[in-house]
Amino acid sequence: MPIFDQGYQHWDGTLSGHAWRWLAISHRGVRTQLKNRWTRMALLLAWLPALALGMFLALWGLLEQKTDDWKGLFTFLPAVVLLDPKAFRAEIWSLAFSWFLIAETYAAMILVVIVGPNLISQDLRFNAMPLYLSRPLTRFDYFAGKLGTIAAFLAAVILIPAVLTYVLGVGFSLSFKVIADTYRIVPACLAYGAVVVLVAGLFMLAISSLSKNSRYVAAIWIGLWLVGSTAAGVLADPNTLAIKWGPIVSLTNNLRRVQEVLLGTGEAFESIREAGEQAMSPFGRRSFGRSFGRRHADPAMKYNPFAQDYPWQWSAYVLSGLVVLSLCILTTRVKSLDRLR
Amino acid sequence: MLFELKGVTKSYGKIKALRDLNVSMPEGAIGLLGPNGAGKTTMIRTLLGLISIDAGEGEVLGMNIRSRRLDIRQAVGFVPEDECLFPSVEGVEFVAYSGELGGMRTKDAMQRAHEVLDYVGLGEARYRKVESYSTGMKQRLKIASAIVHDPRMLILDEPTNGMDPAGRIEVLELARDLAHRKGMSLLFSSHLLPDVEAVCDHVMVLGGGKLLASGVIEDLKRTVGRQFEVRVKTDANRFAGQLAGAGLSVQSKDDVLLVDLPEGRETSVLWEAARASGEQIRLLRPRQSSLEEVFLDAISSDRA
Repeated sequence: MPIFDQGYQHWDGTLSGHAWRWLAISHRGVRTQLKNRWTRMALLLAWLPALALGMFLALWGLLEQKTDDWKGLFTFLPAVVLLDPKAFRAEIWSLAFSWFLIAETYAAMILVVIVGPNLISQDLRFNAMPLYLSRPLTRFDYFAGKLGTIAAFLAAVILIPAVLTYVLGVGFSLSFKVIADTYRIVPACLAYGAVVVLVAGLFMLAISSLSKNSRYVAAIWIGLWLVGSTAAGVLADPNTLAIKWGPIVSLTNNLRRVQEVLLGTGEAFESIREAGEQAMSPFGRRSFGRSFGRRHADPAMKYNPFAQDYPWQWSAYVLSGLVVLSLCILTTRVKSLDRLR
Repeated sequence: MLFELKGVTKSYGKIKALRDLNVSMPEGAIGLLGPNGAGKTTMIRTLLGLISIDAGEGEVLGMNIRSRRLDIRQAVGFVPEDECLFPSVEGVEFVAYSGELGGMRTKDAMQRAHEVLDYVGLGEARYRKVESYSTGMKQRLKIASAIVHDPRMLILDEPTNGMDPAGRIEVLELARDLAHRKGMSLLFSSHLLPDVEAVCDHVMVLGGGKLLASGVIEDLKRTVGRQFEVRVKTDANRFAGQLAGAGLSVQSKDDVLLVDLPEGRETSVLWEAARASGEQIRLLRPRQSSLEEVFLDAISSDRA
């Protein structure tokens, strides 16, 4: 039977606008990644901190309602906080969300290394660029589509849980005043999520464009992450080098620094610590914060795990530089068809 | 007009890929011929708006190649020479994805993918992973993904490269059907002249980034001097001997004889020779040059 016997019909359906073409790339990327067992497992594990945050906010809501059954769970807090929890609501919520975002940042790093390496390297390996660039798509659409895949997964572990737990916390507080007290949290989480997506997503895409082998890409990402974190720890250790700018060589440290500024966690922690020092904490004279055990060069900030010796702008500069570097790598590596085979 | 280029120049460093190229081709099936480095691929990329040209202007389907690149790519389907299929994807999924990239809704793209896969003869293999496809199937899959959004023009870059004869014939039939029965214009780039001849009505020959020849294939294949093609019913060799005896120059090519008639002698000499040898003439026509000769003439005149 001749192969064209089935006939060919012309198509006159409606096309989507050009502005949304990148979404097709993201959509397919998400569908493909969700078929990966490791991605699904990482997603489930990444939601555990959100579960913990949700439980904490629910219990805190009960504590605010003077339900004493759960008070024993909050003995790490100064007694003055427990006596009037509503007065410290904003600080406690900021700290809780900060811990949540710190945990989710690590989860995001792992998710990115599972989802990201294949995104561009596979297209380079299988010479699939003509599939994209010979269609009504620009390189910007291509990058946006690939970034959208990473963004979808990071949103699933940072933004969506943050918003849902916030709503849950508001629900358990039984008061709309909580929104006035904690209005800063949701925008801060959204902004932080955008920063993580932009920095980690673009950086992963840039690395993915450097090699046709996705295993090398994953190895480079993990290597840079671990080496950066280790180097930051060594450089900033107050007992050894104590270099002020040491922490900024680590990607996660820089992200955390920006997050703490967005949520105002340093101030929130100090506020609770000072209140605790004015009144006795439930554990004798031990100050709130000592239990976190962070050593700090500045004695005044000795027990504040959120205090840093360097301005947050340094981290912002490093992250901005990383974004610019990633864009340079991407535009150089992913040329239009005239530079491809 | 299918496309028109005026004074288009494109250089890669010191190498000039296109030199003041002027060409205008009507709608239909266009063959694009040229030796390696002639500028065929650069011209295709120029038409698709994938590269920035150094000088010149042009239009594809009435759209400017500088200002309406995305519109051109919306209206044109492109089948690249290289394999560009990523693994672990089902054929139907691949074609539907191509449709989505062209702006079709997910549901429409999937429905249309089934239709075009049926059309190209991959209906039975639509749920197989693309890595399990043969070379011919992959080529047809690429064509399906290029026509899924129903383009007005289809560009095929070396579509029969590396294919077995059966697969090659299928792709040529498909291309011919699209061009002649489905109203889709074709730009068919190939090194294989018989393939171009089998599919196209028009041809353009590029060499050194310039247009060396263009026109309707049948017009380009001009009559060669006073040479005639003759086929007889039974014994061609005996008939050739008879003609040689009459003072004519005869060559045998496949099942026909190529006979040169000197000035002053007419075809009646052939009939007389047939009567004398008791042979029946089944074919007698002036010989035309083949597309291969047209191509070689164009290239050699450029070199000269």
